[in-house]
Amino acid sequence: MRVQVEFLGVSRLATGLKEVALNLEKGTTFRDIVHMLATRYPKLIGDVVQPNGETLQVPNILNLNAKRMIQENQMDEGPSDGDRIILMSMSAGG
Amino acid sequence: MNGYSGKILHIDLNKHKTWVETKPEKWYQTYIGGVSMASRLAWENIEPGCDSLAPGNVTCLAGGLFAGTPVPVGGKYGMASKSPLTGFIGDSLSGSWLAVSFKRAGWDGIVVHGASDEWVRIFIDDDKVSFHDASHLLGLTSTETEEAIRDEYGDDQVRTACIGPAGENLVRVANVSNDGRKAGRTGQGAVWGSKKLKALSIRGTGGISVADPETLLKLSYDILQAAQGPHTQKYRILGTTANMLNMNRLGLLPTRNYQAGVFEDAELVSGEYLHEHYKAKTIACAQCPIACEQVGQVKEGSFAPAMGHIEYESLYALSSNCGVGDMEASIKAIANCNELGLDTMSTGVTISWAMECYQKGVFTEEDFKCEKYPEGFEAEFGNGEAMVTLTEMIAHREGYMGDLLAEGTKRASAKVDEERDTETYKWAMNIKGLETPGYDARSLKTFAVGLAAGVRGGCHNRSAAYDPDIKGWVDRFSVDETRGELAKSTEEYAAVYDTLPLCKFIRRCFTGKADREGAWPAIAKLINATTGWEFEYDDVDLIGERAHTIKKAFNIREGWTREDDHLPWRWQHEPMEGGPSAGYVVTDEELEYLKDIYYKAKGWTKEGLIPEEKLIELGMEDVAEEIGV
Repeated sequence: MRVQVEFLGVSRLATGLKEVALNLEKGTTFRDIVHMLATRYPKLIGDVVQPNGETLQVPNILNLNAKRMIQENQMDEGPSDGDRIILMSMSAGG
Repeated sequence: MNGYSGKILHIDLNKHKTWVETKPEKWYQTYIGGVSMASRLAWENIEPGCDSLAPGNVTCLAGGLFAGTPVPVGGKYGMASKSPLTGFIGDSLSGSWLAVSFKRAGWDGIVVHGASDEWVRIFIDDDKVSFHDASHLLGLTSTETEEAIRDEYGDDQVRTACIGPAGENLVRVANVSNDGRKAGRTGQGAVWGSKKLKALSIRGTGGISVADPETLLKLSYDILQAAQGPHTQKYRILGTTANMLNMNRLGLLPTRNYQAGVFEDAELVSGEYLHEHYKAKTIACAQCPIACEQVGQVKEGSFAPAMGHIEYESLYALSSNCGVGDMEASIKAIANCNELGLDTMSTGVTISWAMECYQKGVFTEEDFKCEKYPEGFEAEFGNGEAMVTLTEMIAHREGYMGDLLAEGTKRASAKVDEERDTETYKWAMNIKGLETPGYDARSLKTFAVGLAAGVRGGCHNRSAAYDPDIKGWVDRFSVDETRGELAKSTEEYAAVYDTLPLCKFIRRCFTGKADREGAWPAIAKLINATTGWEFEYDDVDLIGERAHTIKKAFNIREGWTREDDHLPWRWQHEPMEGGPSAGYVVTDEELEYLKDIYYKAKGWTKEGLIPEEKLIELGMEDVAEEIGV
C-alpha cells in the first residue's frame, strides 16, 4: 500500500521536505511510520520524535486525511492505501 | 504580605491627584493579579452604564504575582476597562519589562480615573507620581513615544506603556503598547485616548519580598530547564506562525473574510516561508526563556524596511483573510499596526469586511479616497497595497473609509446598513463587537460555544475550547452533551494562566503535559513559595473560575442577556466553502443547545445569570448582592 506523508512546521524544517511517499506493508501501524520516518530522517529525533525513535514529542501529532487526529492510544492502528498522513505540531495562541 | 505590596495606586486625571488604597489579604487570594485583579478593579471603579469613552470609564492595570521574581514567563500584567468595542468588560494582557518595573515600584494595581483637559503623560517613579505635558508626543508611534520618554530621563529603567496615533484618534480597535508588546483586543487604546493619556511610565527600583526564596529559585530553575527543551521548541523556531499551514490543511484558515477555510496561497504567507525568507530575529519578553516572537523584515521593494512582530493571529488577519498571498504586504501591514497602535486581528478582520463590501458592490473605489489615492482605489481581496493603505487610514481615521473602519465591524456594518439599505452585518465577523480569531468555528463545535459565550467577545485567548476540537479529543464536526463542561473547563484553565499571569506557552514545562493534573500542583508550589499561602490543587483551579466570574458579573451589570452570546451570522447560515470542513455551519438549534449545557456546567441559570449562592461559594459576596439571582 502507498501513503503520502506531509510535513508541516518543525518537521518540514528538519526533513527539508514538504512531503514524501511511503510504500508500506499491509498492517503497518502509525507507530511504525513514525519509526520509519525517524530512521530515514534522523534530524526528526529530538524536536519531533522522542529519543526512542517511535513516539512523537508532544505536541507533534499525526493527522489522517485532514479529518482525524491520531491520539497516542490509536498509534497501533494503521492507514489505508491512498491515505494522506500529515505530521504537524499544533501551537495555540498568538 | 509576601509577593504583594498591599497597595493600589489611584490616579485622577481630572484633578491630577493620587491616593493609595490598601486591600486585605483575602482580596488578593481571591483575585491574585493579571486579568482577574484588573477586572475586579474595573468592577469596583467603573460607573455602571457609563459610556466607554467618557470619563466614568477607568483604565485598570494589575501586576503579575510572579513579575520581577525568578519565575519564568511571569513578567506580565493585566489591563481592564469597559470596552469601546463591546460595551462589556475589556481585559487584556501584556508582558515584558513594564510588568517588572510596575511590581518593583511597589504597586499591585493602578487605576486611572477621569480624563485630562490636555494631553498628558504620567510618570510613576517608585512611590512618586507626576503629570507631564504630552502635546509634543502626539502623532508619535508607539516605539517613538517609548524612546522619546526614555531619552528624556536618560534611563533605560524607565519603562513606558503608551498609545500610538490610533489611540489618540479614538479608534475603537486601538491597543496599548509597551516594550514591543501589546495590551490588545477590546480597544484599550481608545480608552486611553478618551482620557487624553498618551503614556504611563514607571521606574521601579525596589525589591519584591517572597516567602521562601530558596524554594522559589529551585522551582524556577527546574521550569527554566524544561523550557529550553522540546516542549517549547516549536515556539522558538517558527512561533505561532506555524499554525498558518496547520489551519489551512484542516480547512480552518480564515480566507477572504471567512468565506473559505483553505487559502490557495497559504504557503506564501506561512511561518515556514517567513522563516526562510524574512526572519530577522527572534526575541523574548522579560523573564522569558522561550523567545517565541518572530520578527520579520522586508529587505527590499516598496514595503522595505518594514519590520513587524509576526504572530499567527496577526498573520491570518492580514494575509489569507484579506486574500493576500504576499508576505511583504503582510509584514508591512502588521508593522503599521504595531507602530500606529492598532490591534492586528480586529484591524485585519475589519479590512476584510470592507473588501467583501467592495467585492459585493456595496462600496466603490470612491469610498476609498484618501490623500495617497485621491480618486480612491480598488479594494478587492488580494490587493496587498490596499490592505496596507487601509491600516494607515484606520489609524488616522482618514477619509470616509478610515473613519468608518475605525469603529470596528459591528458599528461599521450597522452604519452602512442603515445608510445604504444593505445587509453587510451578514459578513461582519464579530462576537459582541470583538472581531473573531483565526479559527473558523463552523466545524469546531466546542469552540463555537466557547466563543459565543466569551465574556470579552470573539477571543481565542480567553476560551481555549479549540484545543479539544483541533487536537481530536472530540469530534469537532458534531455536538454532544460533553461540550458544555469542556467549554467551561478550557476557559477556566486559560483564566488561571491569564490571572497569575504566566504565559501559556510554559504549560507543558511542568510535567510534559498541558493538563491541570500536571500543572496545578506545580503552580500551587510557586504561589506558596512566593506568598507563604497554602494553596492546593483546588485553590489553583478556583483562580480560573473566579477570574471568569468577575468578568461575567461585570457584563451582567452592563445589561448582558442570553442573546448576547451569539455567533457571526455567516457561521450560522453560510456553509463553509471547500476543503476538509466544507459544508458545515453551527445551526440555531446546535448553538442554543450548546449554550444550555454550558450555562448548566457553569452552575448558572438557563438565562445565563449567576445564582447568589454560586457567587458566595466563590467568596464574592458583594458581587452576589449586586447581580446574584
